[in-house]
Amino acid sequence: MAAAVQGAGIADRDATQEQTSEQDDRALAAVFKAYTISATCWLLFGTAVGLLLAFKFGAPDFWAEKYLTFGRLRPIHTNSVFYGFASIGLVGTAFYVTARSCGTRLYSTRLAWLGLWLFNIAALTGTIALDLGYNWGDLEYREWPWPIRLVLLAALLVTVWNLLATIARRASHDIYLSNWYIIGGFLWTCVICLVAILPWYQQGLGQVAISGYFMHNAVGMWFTPLALGLFYYAIPKVLNRPIYSYALGVLAFWTNLVFYPMLGGHHFLFSPLPWWLQTTAIICSVGMLVPVLGGSANFLLTMRGRYHGRIESYPLAFLFIGVLCYLVGSTQGTVEALRSLQAVWHFTSFTVGHSHLTMYGFVSFAVWGAIYALLPLATGKNPGRLGVATHFWLALVGMSIYVIALSIGGTLQGLDWVRGVPFIQSVAEMAPYYLWRGVGGILMFLSHLVFAWNVWRMTAGKPGNAPSPIMEPEGAAA
Amino acid sequence: MHNMLMGPLWGIIAVAVVVGVVTLACFIAMFRYLAHPGESSPDHPKYSILRRDR
Repeated sequence: MAAAVQGAGIADRDATQEQTSEQDDRALAAVFKAYTISATCWLLFGTAVGLLLAFKFGAPDFWAEKYLTFGRLRPIHTNSVFYGFASIGLVGTAFYVTARSCGTRLYSTRLAWLGLWLFNIAALTGTIALDLGYNWGDLEYREWPWPIRLVLLAALLVTVWNLLATIARRASHDIYLSNWYIIGGFLWTCVICLVAILPWYQQGLGQVAISGYFMHNAVGMWFTPLALGLFYYAIPKVLNRPIYSYALGVLAFWTNLVFYPMLGGHHFLFSPLPWWLQTTAIICSVGMLVPVLGGSANFLLTMRGRYHGRIESYPLAFLFIGVLCYLVGSTQGTVEALRSLQAVWHFTSFTVGHSHLTMYGFVSFAVWGAIYALLPLATGKNPGRLGVATHFWLALVGMSIYVIALSIGGTLQGLDWVRGVPFIQSVAEMAPYYLWRGVGGILMFLSHLVFAWNVWRMTAGKPGNAPSPIMEPEGAAA
Repeated sequence: MHNMLMGPLWGIIAVAVVVGVVTLACFIAMFRYLAHPGESSPDHPKYSILRRDR
């Protein structure tokens, strides 16, 4: 009798745990969906503004009303794709990766929703402020007025608390590598956001140093570690194969921390910044080859022998392009940091091509790859195969046209300046390259419309016919 | 190319040597892990991540 009661008790407990587990999974999926939908809205808005900006290069008087001038729209484009699309997309996916890799539920879904509201309030009020002309000076990627940047900082703090508490209740002894990158990215970014606000750093030459520090670290200590964290989870999951070298991933994490914070100064070579700071920035840019080459080799060696999979699996194709652009874009950044080459390329359109190769080719493809790989697992809904393929090829071709056009045009621009020809000649020479930039931009924007349709099918709409993002393990067919 | 804002040559060499040694050591470690990834224990987190998923 006692044994029967005890058995029934165990069965009840198991049933309750299963029910709780299902509820937790549904709550996590709802958070992941909401962040992805929100990020998609910001992607459409931010890149529509970017497209308009691209055409203003060819027709500066087109839609030149006060609220649509280049000076107001340019920071709206960069901030909305940075903090609206990429940040919210990465954070939503990070919640999923952290909870799953820790084998536990999210610490607090309420905090996750609060974080989403804060991210959106910051991005929305920041956009409105910039369009009304409230621009915090010429500080790249921190043009929002400082109270709005405090809201962004609050969003980061709320989210990192939630992620840390989730990791603290993990089922395993070890903290998986993805979580190192995700938590590292959050903590570093809280520091740089705070430094970017402290008033005594915002004047004179110190402001220049901090501008370089914030501008480059916003990319390398926020987007890069989060995107790499997604790679370390999504690539092994999709391939059904472990990462090639875990230790190399740990080395890449620490070397990113050692070298990256110092390299922002390479945007101010030949400036009144101390020469040793400039030289250190250049050498740290070379040192960044360690995490970049090591990390990229790690991902590519994990994919070795599964090349056919990149054709069969579009999530893997997105992740593969993300890895390639991380490798090429970051190595290009090291080369650009050398004084002799920077004298030609800096302040030209080449730098704009470089930033799109990294932020679009690396970060955006990483976000899309991770969403296509993981969101169907959370919602149980796949996108359509044609939709994912269309998104992939439009985005890839559009980005390639954009980056190649600006790289060639920017080099000609820089050589014109070095030769000392009249400035207007360099402007006239850029005309065909600005046109190609617009063509690439149109393709990229069209791909985003298709992505929005795919997100709809993975969340609220009718599921599509794309196969499971998880490939069969090697030898399974045999 | 030389520019007066580049700083003194020996100063640049000194900075390059100090930071360069750290960089070189990191490169050696990188190649070591590339050549010998190890981590063959089935209990290693890189394997368990493939199994553990609620």
